[in-house]
Amino acid sequence: MKSTTKRVLQGVGLGLGCLLLVGLLVLPLFERGNDSTLFTLTLLLASIGTAISWNLTGGFTGYVDFGHAVWFGIGAYTTGVLMSNESDWIPQQWPLVPALIVSAIFTALVANLVGRLTMRLSGPYFSIAMLGFFVFFREVVRVMGGLTNRGVGLTIEPVINRPLWYYVTLIFVLVLVYLSWWLRRTRFGASLIAIREDEIGAEMRGIDTTRNKVMIFTLSGAITGLLGAMWAYQNTFLDPDIAFVEVRTIDAVMGTMLGGLGTVAGPIIGMAFLFVLRELLWTQESLLQTHLIVQGLLLGAVVIYLPKGLMGLVRGEVKLLDRFRKRTSTFEGMEAAVLDDEVLDEAAGELETEVSR
Amino acid sequence: MTRVLEATGIVRRFGGLTAVNNVDIHVDAGEMVGLIGPNGSGKTTLFDCLSRVQTIDEGTIVLNQTDISRMKPHQVAHIGLSRTFQVLRVYRDLTVVENMELSVQWGDISLLSSFRRPDKETTKRANHLIDFLLLSRLRNERASSLSGGQRRLLELGMALMSEPNIVLLDEAMSGVNPSLVEQIKERITILNQEQGVSFLLVEHDIRFVKDLCERVVVLNYGEKLAEGAPDAIMENDAVIEAYFGDDGGGGEHDADF
Repeated sequence: MKSTTKRVLQGVGLGLGCLLLVGLLVLPLFERGNDSTLFTLTLLLASIGTAISWNLTGGFTGYVDFGHAVWFGIGAYTTGVLMSNESDWIPQQWPLVPALIVSAIFTALVANLVGRLTMRLSGPYFSIAMLGFFVFFREVVRVMGGLTNRGVGLTIEPVINRPLWYYVTLIFVLVLVYLSWWLRRTRFGASLIAIREDEIGAEMRGIDTTRNKVMIFTLSGAITGLLGAMWAYQNTFLDPDIAFVEVRTIDAVMGTMLGGLGTVAGPIIGMAFLFVLRELLWTQESLLQTHLIVQGLLLGAVVIYLPKGLMGLVRGEVKLLDRFRKRTSTFEGMEAAVLDDEVLDEAAGELETEVSR
Repeated sequence: MTRVLEATGIVRRFGGLTAVNNVDIHVDAGEMVGLIGPNGSGKTTLFDCLSRVQTIDEGTIVLNQTDISRMKPHQVAHIGLSRTFQVLRVYRDLTVVENMELSVQWGDISLLSSFRRPDKETTKRANHLIDFLLLSRLRNERASSLSGGQRRLLELGMALMSEPNIVLLDEAMSGVNPSLVEQIKERITILNQEQGVSFLLVEHDIRFVKDLCERVVVLNYGEKLAEGAPDAIMENDAVIEAYFGDDGGGGEHDADF
């Protein structure tokens, strides 16, 4: 029963995923797939990518990064500096591909250095330190003088082919989904789960926790840095206030939590859900002023009532069926229920109610 | 006889308090040594020092002919020391078999090969140990749904997955029902006698220590009070005084140790 239900749910999920993918692939061929739609969808894909990379540290490893958008900003600004002619230090305009590669590598280097400092902290100390680094780098960019054009902003010459860029982003996000899925199944991925579950235990059982944490943090930074670099190119203009935005972190956290922290599909489902919800709320005139309040409430409600997100809900349904199966089996033999304390507690509660009657 | 673990002059201070004061302790190959002492005598702190979870202020620790005094805990695990904890440390959200698979000898896995899936050999070994510890029925259950005693067995299994030559057991019997105590005792004996695994164990139940260990070390206020065969230790006046105070206590000591 359990495996059948699971298989059906997996099948339905896979089918819907494939359908969505085909839709996304053929969209630019239709009239609806105009520049504006593709621009918005490219942004959504970038948000999904950011959530996937946040999930590597926040979800898999259990290090909740409140400053993750800093990597987006650093990646964006590296590309901005390289591709704009407004930077005094590097006035010549670099071609796109080398600029993207350098942005990813530079962000990875900074993430590695920051990770070495912050990944030794635990829980809220890490989260707050990252928030500090976010503000630090944003303000550094603002006062960097000639390199970043003094925070006034940098303009990149618009030579963008919107459909092509949309496909590039889509493929990159698909690669990220695969990377996340593959990583979760490797020993390295398993070591991250061990760190999340019990770091001292993991270290004591031979896992080099510091090395693995810094590695995943660096990878996560590099991915988000590249996404930032791609965003800068698509947006053609950037200044510190639009490159370093707290909301990008909040979105990544909210989307991942909504979908399911530490799961491969969670960030995708969560970000897509959030995006659709946001679009629906935006278009309601009555909610124009209050849509952010609704979003805030939603995050609070998710943490309280759905700590494992939509993926947890799907798995929870499987569990509910299991529980039903266990309860019926108690009449045939107690064996299946013996392990589940909750079932026993419930049974005791029911017995008490019966007795009090 | 080969010396597996030798700690000399271990000192560990917390501010003004010296939790472990100049303690020497050693374990030979295939030996089972008990570490006992009243509450707060520094047993767990000494365990933490030996497994490098805590740094030491003075002294040296040699494990399998390697000086581990300044090593990190994961490096110590690579050299062959494994331990369990007074407060259980299992990965609660993972299944029994996943817990075991995650406790392999990471020292044998290079960074490159860590980007591969766990091999079949690991799963086979995990399943073999699960059977050995009589946990077969619970193989695919989450660790959080196991009873305290079953988790103790799982933690022992996890400690054994890395094929250590010495295991430090920190109150492996606390919260375990009597039938499981016998079971754990039997499994430890088999591991010791058939596979030559050495054990150093902290235990409150003196009968357990008496049954298993050839040698007992007694700590009191962070210092080594006595060392010797279990029977001699139980007759030792200093030990009796440490446990029962000046009036001796008399009568049946076993249950109160």
